[in-house]
Order: sequence, then C-alpha cells, then structure tokens
Amino acid sequence: MIGASISRWTMSYFAMALAWLFVALALMVARVGFPAAHLASPDTLVLVHVVCIGWLSLAMCGALLQFVPVLVAKPLYSEKWALPALGLLTAGLVALLAGFLGLGGRLPAWHWLLPVGAVLLTAGFGLIVVDLGLTAWQRPAGPARFVLAGLASLCATVTFGAIFAFAHAGWAGSIGETILASGVPLHAIAGLGGWLTLTAMGVSYRLLSMFMLAPDVDDRNSSWTLAAGVFAITVAVVGGIFAIWLSSGLNAVLSVVAALGLATIALYGRDVSGIFRSRKRRQLELNTRMAVLSFVSLAATALLGVLLILTGAFAAQVGAFVFLVVFGWLSGLVLAKLYKIVAFLTWLETYGPVMGRAPTPRVQDLVAEERASKWFVIYHMAVWFGTLMLLADQAWAFRAASAMMMIGIVGIIREVIRTRQLADVQSPLRLPDGACAPHLLFARS
Amino acid sequence: MTDKLVEQIRDALRVVIDPELGYNIVDLGFVYDISVLDGAVRIMMTATTPGCPAIHFLREGVANAAERVPGVRSIDIVMTFEPLWTPSCIEPVVRASLGFAAVN
Repeated sequence: MIGASISRWTMSYFAMALAWLFVALALMVARVGFPAAHLASPDTLVLVHVVCIGWLSLAMCGALLQFVPVLVAKPLYSEKWALPALGLLTAGLVALLAGFLGLGGRLPAWHWLLPVGAVLLTAGFGLIVVDLGLTAWQRPAGPARFVLAGLASLCATVTFGAIFAFAHAGWAGSIGETILASGVPLHAIAGLGGWLTLTAMGVSYRLLSMFMLAPDVDDRNSSWTLAAGVFAITVAVVGGIFAIWLSSGLNAVLSVVAALGLATIALYGRDVSGIFRSRKRRQLELNTRMAVLSFVSLAATALLGVLLILTGAFAAQVGAFVFLVVFGWLSGLVLAKLYKIVAFLTWLETYGPVMGRAPTPRVQDLVAEERASKWFVIYHMAVWFGTLMLLADQAWAFRAASAMMMIGIVGIIREVIRTRQLADVQSPLRLPDGACAPHLLFARS
Repeated sequence: MTDKLVEQIRDALRVVIDPELGYNIVDLGFVYDISVLDGAVRIMMTATTPGCPAIHFLREGVANAAERVPGVRSIDIVMTFEPLWTPSCIEPVVRASLGFAAVN
C-alpha cells in the first residue's frame, strides 16, 4: 500500500478528548482536586484520570489510528474497532470517575464501579493495542518502534490501574492491597513516561520531518533514545514490582528511572535539534512553533526534576512536576499537532475527491494562524505561570492560571471548529462543484 | 503530435496541487515522466512521503485532470518513490517563493 486512507473516527476521538480537557480545566478552576485537595485524594484521582485518559489518551489514540498506517505504509488492521473502542473507553472512564467520586463521598459508595470501569477501559485499550500493534508490527522500524514501546507501556499502565481498581473494591486480596499501597508511582511512570511520552516522541519525529521537509532521523540515533526510554520503563515496572515484593522501598528503582529518563530526554533533544537543523522548509508553521514551546516545557521538566531532587524537595513538589509534564510537554505537543492534523484531514476529506476537476485551496487556507497563535501562547504562558504558582504554594494564583488555560483552550477549540466548517476558506475555492462540507465529528469516507 | 499532447497533459496537471506545499505538482517536480502511445497515457509520478493519505487523492486527481485532455484514450498512473522526491526537484522560482533552504 502506498497511501493510507482517512481514518473515519479520528475526529470523534479528538472531539471527545477536547471535551474532557475542558472538563478537567473546569474542575481545576472550581478547585476540585490538587492543589485544593491532597495528591492521593479521590478528587485528585478524578482530575488526573480525566486528563490522562479522557484528554491525552483519547487524543493520542485518535492520532495513532490515522498515523500508524502512515508510519508503516500499511492499512489499519481493523477500522471497525475504532468506534467500539471509543465507546468502551468513554463508558469505562465515566464508571471509573463515578467510582472515585464514591470513594470521596460525593456519590454513593458503589465501589464496584471501579472494577467495572477498569474492565471497560481494559477492553477499550485492548482493542486499540491489538489494532495499532498488529498494524505497526508489519514494519517495526523508525518511529513505529516508539509506538510499539508506547503500546507495551499502555498494557503495563492498564494492568496496574485494573489491580488498583479491584483493590479499592476489596476484590484483589492482600497482593492487590500491597500493590495499591506502593505501586502508584509505577502506574504513573508507565502511563506518562511510557505510553504517552514515548509515543509522542515517535510520532513527533515523523510529523516534524514531514511538515518541515527534513530527512527522517537516522534509526541508529533514535535507537539510543528508544533504548534509554524502554530501559527506564522496564526498570520502573519490573524493578518496581520486585522492590514491592521484597518490601525494599522504591527509592533505588526511582533513582535509576530518573537517570534513564534524563538520558532519554537529552537524546530526544539531540534528535529533534537535528531535524530542525536539517529542515529544507525555513518558515515554520504554527504547529511547529507551538511544538517548540512544548519542547521548552520538556526541557524545563528535566531541569525542575533535577533541582527538586538535589534540594530534596521532589516528594513535596511532585504535583508541580507532574503538572508541567502533563500540561506543558504532553498537552502542548498534542494540541499543536491536533491543530495541524485536523486541518490536513479536513482538506483531504473535502478537496481530495475533487482534485483534478476543480481548483482547490491549500491546507494553510483552512486555518488562520495569526488569529490562532494567541490562544496557544495564552495557554503555554498560563501553564508556566501555574507551575510556578504550584511551586510557590499559591493556590489562588494557580486557579487564575487554570482560568487562563481554559481561555486558551476555548480559543483553540473554536479555531479547530472553524477549520472543520471551512469558515476561513474564501469563495469560490471553499466548496467547488462536487465537494461536500465535512461533518464536524467524523469523516464521511 | 505526441509531444504536443504530452505538453497539454502536463498543463492540465497543474490544477492538481500538493495540499501541504500549496503548489501544483508539475512545478513541484512530482511528475517524473509522461509518455503517450496512440492516446494511451502513462504517467510516472511521486509524492513527498510514502504512506501519506494524500497520495490516493493525488493519483486520482492526476487521472481526473489527464482524462479531460482531448486525444487521451486511457490513463495508467505509476506511483513510485524511486528516486525519492527532494526539494531539489522543485522549479527554482517556486522553491524560492516557498522559502526553502539552499538545496544540496
């Protein structure tokens, strides 16, 4: 196969993901969860899972359903699984959140909702892992290796999460209780570091090369980055389980993971710098400029982590650290690329079928970058301000930062909707004869 | 006569653009070869990235544009990535306007 087809449900994943991001920011503005509540509180669990499953994982899955076939130049194993997976993931997340709210006394204490949510999420992620895994496995080279490592990490993350859910309901025995008591850092590292970060790194290699017309990163270079990342996650998961089994504490394991994580970030920085240096396209589009801001957040994350460890303040400030990882690095990159992917897929869906029969606009004609850039800048500034306010323990100022983030996100969502509506395309190019306006929430293909 | 038809086909293909670069595929150097034998047209072309979902539409677009040229009876499009397309394939004037770095 030379060209991938358009993923029918990628827009649905993106729409659901953005809706969950809006919910997360609304919760933060309403002072639900950290920092108003303790990191391990049920309210924080609600917030964390809305962000990590509802927003980041759904956005990543939607992007991968389109992108993995591009990476390996093979069709998706099964397009039919995408919508059921979205339904299972959404239902599972709602059940999980209801279970957490029950733990916190905001809903009746129906703890069985947690295992039910875990089963639904396991089924949904299972469909995604098999679908994307079997597709990527057909040509496991280049960035596709990062996706495979990310999917393996997703399996570990979901397994930990399911054990926790069953343990909360009292259905996991003493082993489950022990893992619940000590294993939360391993769950977080596998999810944020393995599934989301390694996958984002792999996808970014190819997207940056494609949109800047730079040569692909040499597999020999990216192999070191991948090896360091995979080693870090393996040490966290396998070493962490041994440490829990031996009751020896996680400090030694987490120290090794931190060192390997730093090495991964440094190597990734080298690879990305190489792509920028070798690019043929000098003018950077908005998505690339905003991706650079997420790279700044990733570098700041590494620096902050080192400073917090050296000053012995990591445990006390882990909330600020995770906030910067989630909203600066991961969300910043996903938002930048989502903005571009929506425009590109909307163009293909609308104008691809009439090419050769009528003049068509460019992808860039579907977006208004100058207008959109301010929303991204507001968002990133708010994230950095929010991180500083968390470090300074200024809860009210953090709330103001959350409100600023929300303003930025609402602006970005409005831009994405305008792209889907072709609102910025001038006539007569907007809808040539034979072209159909796209549906907001799914591709018509 | 054949040369004239080839040029007519080449001109017709200028309505097909690369959506990302925003220029027609002829000036971008995507069209490697056009040959005609008794109205049977064979077009060898490429795109920037193997696996890109735009490829299918580029191919269809080329077929749509070429079949409108009088004298064309059948069209065979060969999509190839050998040699790989590089920005050096772009017409120099277009390359400058796209803001490309000096091409090695």
